[in-house]
Amino acid sequence: MTQVVSSSRVKAFSPGLRSSAREIHTPRVIWWNVSWLSIGSAMGLSALGIAAISTTGQGFAMRQMVFVCLGVIVAALVTIPHYRILQRLSYPFMLVTLGLLMFVLVKFVPDFLVRPRNGSRRWINLGFTDFQPSEVAKIAYILCLATYLRFRSNYRSLFGLLMLLGLTFIPLGLVLKEPDLGTSLLFLPTLFAMLIAAGARKRHIALIITLGLSIAPLTYPFLEPHQKDRIDALLAQIKGDSRYEDDIGYQGARAMTLAGAGGVFGVGKEKAAELLKYNHLPEDHNDMVFAVVCCRWGMMGAIATWVLFGVFALGGLLTAGLCKDPFGRLVAVGIVAAMFAQMVINTGMNIGLLPITGMTLPFVSYGGSSMVTTWLMVGLLMSIAMRRSQYMARQSFEFDDADQA
Amino acid sequence: MEPARAGYGSWVDFVNPQRFIPSMFHRRLVLLMVVCVVLILGMSGQMVRLSVVESADRLASAESKLEERTFLPTTRGRILDRKDRVLALDKASSDIAVEYDVITGVWPRDQAVSQTKKEVGRARWSAMSPEERQKAVSAHVPEWQAKVDRMWAEICRVGGISPLELQKRIDRIKQDVQNKAADIWARQLKEEREKYGVPDDEEYDDFKARPIREQTTPHVILPRVSDDIAYAFKRFDQQNPDMLAVIDSRKREYPWSGADVRLGRNSLPRPIRNDAPVSIRVTGVADHILGAMRDEVWAEDVERRPFLNSRTLKVADLGGYREGDVVGSRGVEKVFEDTLRGLRGQVNTRKDTGLKNRIEPVSGKDLQLTIDIMLQTRVQAILTPEYGLAKVQPWQHNEGQGMPPGMPLNAAAVVLDVQTGEILAMVSMPTFAMGQMMSPEQQKLDQPVVNRPVEAVYPPGSIIKPLVLSAAVTEGAHNLDSSITCTGHYFENNLKIARCWIFRDKYGMVGHGPLQAAEALARSCNMFFFTLADRLGMERLCKWYRRFGLGGALDVGLSYESKGDDGKVTVIGESAGDVPGEKEFAEMKAKGEGKFSQIIMGIGQGPVTWTPLQAANAYATLARGGVIRDATLLMSDPRGTRPQRTADLHLSKHLVDVALEGLRESVMERFGTGNHFGYDDKSEEAIINAQGVQVWAKTGTAQSDVRKLRDHSWFVGLVGPKDATRPMQAIAVIVENGGSGGRTAGPIANQIIRALQAEGYLPGDANAPVIDKNHPASSEPQPDPSDEHQEDH
Repeated sequence: MTQVVSSSRVKAFSPGLRSSAREIHTPRVIWWNVSWLSIGSAMGLSALGIAAISTTGQGFAMRQMVFVCLGVIVAALVTIPHYRILQRLSYPFMLVTLGLLMFVLVKFVPDFLVRPRNGSRRWINLGFTDFQPSEVAKIAYILCLATYLRFRSNYRSLFGLLMLLGLTFIPLGLVLKEPDLGTSLLFLPTLFAMLIAAGARKRHIALIITLGLSIAPLTYPFLEPHQKDRIDALLAQIKGDSRYEDDIGYQGARAMTLAGAGGVFGVGKEKAAELLKYNHLPEDHNDMVFAVVCCRWGMMGAIATWVLFGVFALGGLLTAGLCKDPFGRLVAVGIVAAMFAQMVINTGMNIGLLPITGMTLPFVSYGGSSMVTTWLMVGLLMSIAMRRSQYMARQSFEFDDADQA
Repeated sequence: MEPARAGYGSWVDFVNPQRFIPSMFHRRLVLLMVVCVVLILGMSGQMVRLSVVESADRLASAESKLEERTFLPTTRGRILDRKDRVLALDKASSDIAVEYDVITGVWPRDQAVSQTKKEVGRARWSAMSPEERQKAVSAHVPEWQAKVDRMWAEICRVGGISPLELQKRIDRIKQDVQNKAADIWARQLKEEREKYGVPDDEEYDDFKARPIREQTTPHVILPRVSDDIAYAFKRFDQQNPDMLAVIDSRKREYPWSGADVRLGRNSLPRPIRNDAPVSIRVTGVADHILGAMRDEVWAEDVERRPFLNSRTLKVADLGGYREGDVVGSRGVEKVFEDTLRGLRGQVNTRKDTGLKNRIEPVSGKDLQLTIDIMLQTRVQAILTPEYGLAKVQPWQHNEGQGMPPGMPLNAAAVVLDVQTGEILAMVSMPTFAMGQMMSPEQQKLDQPVVNRPVEAVYPPGSIIKPLVLSAAVTEGAHNLDSSITCTGHYFENNLKIARCWIFRDKYGMVGHGPLQAAEALARSCNMFFFTLADRLGMERLCKWYRRFGLGGALDVGLSYESKGDDGKVTVIGESAGDVPGEKEFAEMKAKGEGKFSQIIMGIGQGPVTWTPLQAANAYATLARGGVIRDATLLMSDPRGTRPQRTADLHLSKHLVDVALEGLRESVMERFGTGNHFGYDDKSEEAIINAQGVQVWAKTGTAQSDVRKLRDHSWFVGLVGPKDATRPMQAIAVIVENGGSGGRTAGPIANQIIRALQAEGYLPGDANAPVIDKNHPASSEPQPDPSDEHQEDH
């Protein structure tokens, strides 16, 4: 094994030695690249979202279309500068983000700046729209982690791994305090995915996940009552107990009912619109939009959504795979992980597999700031994919890994 | 690792990803993609469950919300007596109810707030300071308050109640709702503390008290108003919405539950005999039989007959239970709930299309009882202490022993039609309604909830003797032509136990001498029946008791299943009584009491009990020559579960003749225990003085161990027209702690026979005066039947 790795290193080094420095530092732009897989599926999902939102009949669809255009423009703009400048900006960006996360939590910030909704302090009022620092925190976290991990290998020791985990709890804790349980749930999958890509030992990660899952039930007594209620409601729902369906389990039960009502091929737009109207599904254009998709297009709609996300992930991972720069590799993996985790949590809660947490379905749910930030990440993917350097100084994340059998 | 890599062909090497993907980073990317695919597959599994397996249910549930459902009330079936008199019926009426917010007085302000909001617009309202809002709202409050005042004035005027009375009703509603809310919130808080593990002494302020149902619904201020008042308020409601509601209500009425009964007193025992009839007020006539309705729907009702399918929320059963329904809670109202209940109607309105789909309500079926309510009322009047028979009287020789003169005695009586087994009257005193007036202590003593004729079990005492005779003769243990000599005591060398009631050696009374069956019955000789029981053995005797309907509930239409707190289902409403089985026989024999237990079972003592209904039923079976046709309360059983038992005991005509002859002599001949009783002045009183009828009957006493008072007084018999060879009705009377059967229960049976005459069931004049034969005082000391039990240990 050692031989294999060292020989590949030699191979990686040898062509680079012969090429000129100019060739290394000015990579050519590859317009037709794998990130189009992700861009295409993001387009598809956005279109699906607009169609689904039009079912809810509240005039949101037109605005969503504007948001998508805005998102695409932002994505295009993001591709202009070389993504490497983000390496240098990532730590300051994180500091600003942490500042904003703390800002929304400060008690005496006036209500017109931070308007609490449903007991959460997540939004900063910018006048024309609300801005949610936790959305940005996702991106800052991915960039920061990629910057940190790119030339290191200390995360291959358990200590290094635990330290990283500890650092993650700084933004995670702040987001959790808002409270925004949904977003906070994204940090750990993102971290683990990036660590796996970066070559952390699988048994370490398996150990941490196993420990984490076994400790999770012990945190129940420390949860807020409304969080406990939701978990209770989910458990009851799984057991077929309809006791909570009129209050705390209402949203979940209604979503499941509407999702199942679609059957295999869906009930069509008009019928779906009527069912939605009279079933009073809360947040049907937003967090619960997946139930709308399932109702209107049935299981086919659900499968289409998942396949599109699968293609998105494939495009992102291929981008990472073809990229030779360690920072770009990890950013691509991080974006895929965050999107995919968000999708799993959102669709999972729509079909009664996970408790209800406030969490949008990327590209599909209604919302300006989330649409812009998700498209911003697509732009980053494109930026990475189109700047594939042909030569690199050193091959990253290749380790002699005994547990890699 | 190294050996595995050594050569191709090893399977480890073949599947080794490193062979195909040399870069570790790329292998890791493949791993991540695999994780993504696995997650999608996992969620697809759940999706298949929702959209394939459960799709139909879920679509139905979602579609149910497209429909607005309203329900139409149904009418509960009537309960009729055997002569088509209506004993229970639903009367439609309307209640005038006022919204709780109006009652508490917060309504005008709430209305003013929403009116102001509407006027100024949402944006302006948000911008207003609390003082500005206050000012704007206050301007509108008086007009809404005026509406409320006008409504209250209207209610007082139309409903004919004073403002003071109105205020009293309002206060009572407020108080009730507040108390209930406080209870519910306290319970919810407790549950929440338990759920989140917050100890009682720790602060917990996350509890949110949500309004209880009563705080959001209208409350009845004017109950059961006439149609024109209801109409007036419906118009008021249209003009002034959201303040009150006119609620269709159906009230269960029991038209025969109370009555004044005129009873003659000229045939009562001499001390209370009077030529003037008396008018007696009875309450709760047949209420143990009819039962009652409760306004509360219990979880067990919904469990038994759910109204909605809890999954699809579609109507599962239009006869199912929902909040606000009335439910039969006792008696036939409960047992025949499903027959009487009916199906409500339903109107479904599609919210999208406005199409209406109407299902008409189906009224409940009527239920016809075998009871004659007039006879029932008369018998109940006879059993009231006011009439003078069911209370401690001097001639009963009951005073003392904690029983002051005039103390009311609880009693039960049953009248059966012999041919059909139909129950003509079945009275339990005190009635359920009378029990409602009692203090809790008195209720504990008198147990008014117990329907004595079918639920209370008593030792049979001497009245079981005809059954013992039937058993012994049919089993061949006794020849009707032979006689048995009564020596006064059964055991040669023990004069203390198993004696005949006549045994008084200090008066020179030692025994009845040789007796044949009829006379033994008439004289109620214990020795004779000790002997028969001994010859039969307890196994055969008990087998015969069971054949006569002992040891099992007759299921006349009052028994129902009830789930106890421990979840065990038991059948209640009718008692089975006790007849020992194999296990008890073995126990008695093991204790060495076999012989004694065996012989005393022949005189209705020992471990045997029955209900008054079982007694009347057994006598009727005997009178039919052994044809089993168990007693019933139903002209036809809608459940189709009757008859429970059909058989013929094949009692020979000779046996029935002899048994009836014994019972006849018991009443008609001077030596019979049911013939007469004596007063302290040595004068005598005939127990049965009804004219034109033939009576076959037996007196008895049953030990009472509950209240440590006098024994229970039995009088059970058969009655028919004079010169009839076979009886028409069976009568059982028991007076608790009444002492002697002849002295206390006997005169009651006499009046019941007269009641049967009055209602046309028997020939003869119910009010015929007593033909006073003026019995000369007997020279020989008259046996006192109340001492019958004294042969017991």
